[in-house]
Amino acid sequence: MDRIGAPAAPPAASAPPLVAFDGVSAGYEGEPVLHQIDLNLRRGECVGIMGPSGSGKTTLLRTLLGQTQRLAGAVREHSGRAGALRVGYVPQLESIDWSFPITVEQVVLLGRWRESGWRPWFSRRDRALARQALERLGIDHLRRRSIRALSGGQQQRVFIARALIGDPDIVLLDEPTTGFDIKTRHDFIHLLGELYRGGLTIVLTTHDLNAVAAHLPRLVCLGEGRVVADGAPPRVLTPDVLRAAYGAEVAVLRRGHTVYVVEHEDAPLEPPAAEPPAAGPAPVPERAPHG
Amino acid sequence: MAELLEPFEFDFMRRALLAATLAGLLTASVGVFVVLRRLSYIGHGLSHGIFGGAVVSFVVGINFYLGATIWGAFCVLLINAVSRRWQISGDAAIGIITTAAFAIGVALISRERTFTRDFEAVLFGEVLGISNGDVAAIAGTMLLVGALCFVWWKRLVFVTFDEEVARASGVPLAWVEVVFSLVLAATVIACLQVLGVTLIAAALVIPPVTARLLTDSFARLFFLAALTGALTGFLGVYLSWFVDVSSGATVVLLQAAVFVLVLALGGLRARRRERGGRRRERDALAGMPRSPLG
Repeated sequence: MDRIGAPAAPPAASAPPLVAFDGVSAGYEGEPVLHQIDLNLRRGECVGIMGPSGSGKTTLLRTLLGQTQRLAGAVREHSGRAGALRVGYVPQLESIDWSFPITVEQVVLLGRWRESGWRPWFSRRDRALARQALERLGIDHLRRRSIRALSGGQQQRVFIARALIGDPDIVLLDEPTTGFDIKTRHDFIHLLGELYRGGLTIVLTTHDLNAVAAHLPRLVCLGEGRVVADGAPPRVLTPDVLRAAYGAEVAVLRRGHTVYVVEHEDAPLEPPAAEPPAAGPAPVPERAPHG
Repeated sequence: MAELLEPFEFDFMRRALLAATLAGLLTASVGVFVVLRRLSYIGHGLSHGIFGGAVVSFVVGINFYLGATIWGAFCVLLINAVSRRWQISGDAAIGIITTAAFAIGVALISRERTFTRDFEAVLFGEVLGISNGDVAAIAGTMLLVGALCFVWWKRLVFVTFDEEVARASGVPLAWVEVVFSLVLAATVIACLQVLGVTLIAAALVIPPVTARLLTDSFARLFFLAALTGALTGFLGVYLSWFVDVSSGATVVLLQAAVFVLVLALGGLRARRRERGGRRRERDALAGMPRSPLG
């Protein structure tokens, strides 16, 4: 699978960034997790935040949500409309209580809790918006089903629909493919591509370098709370960057626009002699210089 | 027939039946959030902790409802603060704080043995001795909780289902915690006279858990839990007249019986569904052409 396609109206480089981190250090209870982060997120971008566990990926998302303690620097927002930046947040599926008795439509409607007034029920307009969001994600037919009766991929779409119903300026997804099988991950990348091409600004964290990160238009690699690299996958998924971030030696293969990270250098990279050679140019391993 | 209507002839029984119905409705409604937020242990701990508040109110000479509410809310807020600030698990914090609060009450009673008997009602419930003021306190708490649930319904559902995203979406989590703590403390205190410290946790937990077995919709769960709580409250006190058993214990035993019944019926239904599925599978196999090898 190639990288996800560009949006109809690509982000203008001259426009002010939707969100700008200027030398931001942030963390919890006075302890910094992020150090001196400089990062611009433009409207209509799809950005993947990668890095090892504890590198500050989730803290970066939480800083965007205003849930961390900012110790230095500033986060500037230019939503271009009155009021604060509207952020849609899609949590890790592991954090959800699946025994909770709630239907798909009710989950999506929760995204309208603020706009829908003080009455305990939702208006006809709220329900119409929920249906629109579910239709956009191709799961309108599931709206009366219990959330726990859905597959992982469908559940993910429900939470994206909940994020979209609030008409967000930016959508944040925390480890969206954790626990997904190959097919579900593949479908998710396609969905991400559709949303990106539709002009949505997306920031997601991921551990999945080959199946997710390599397909995104822009990657930010964090290591120990600092930005190690920022750019298109071929610029970020390099042995030098990955060694600096993960402290591990890896090989990187390139085929066309796609980059593959090979975690175990000792693994057999070539197919057995009996099998016919793969079509197209043979991948050339790019190895990190040792020492 | 006249015998069956006998409990309604007495003023104290009519008051007790009304109080138990309202208390069952109130505890079950608040219990829905307690159970779904996995805070069942807090109901158990808090009822014990509030016993300390009841004794302190008596010793200091302030109104029981006021003193115990402040004490209970303080206990819950302290549990939240301790578990968040010092990374102590919630159940451990509940265990420490509520038992310490309970122990304060026991210590005060052991020093002032003269008023030991006054607290038997708080410990074990004494619905037959309930006053009009106590019924008014339960009804008032119920109206307050009902109004809060009505206005904050979406916030409460959002926080209960997905606290992380609720906070990210601007739901004032700290306020929800404070209000929930006050509601829980007020509910426990208002219903102490009916069920007592030792049984109130069961009334908070059993009806919502029973209702959960019957539905997958949150609104229906809330309605069914409240209905179960109210009916078992009424029937428990009514039956206690005939079986001559403590009213609080009868209410809780009835709730437990309903739970077991629903659980058993659910098990039977699941087994029947499973058997039906196997039969359909066998029929489908029987209709298939035989394998030339078989």
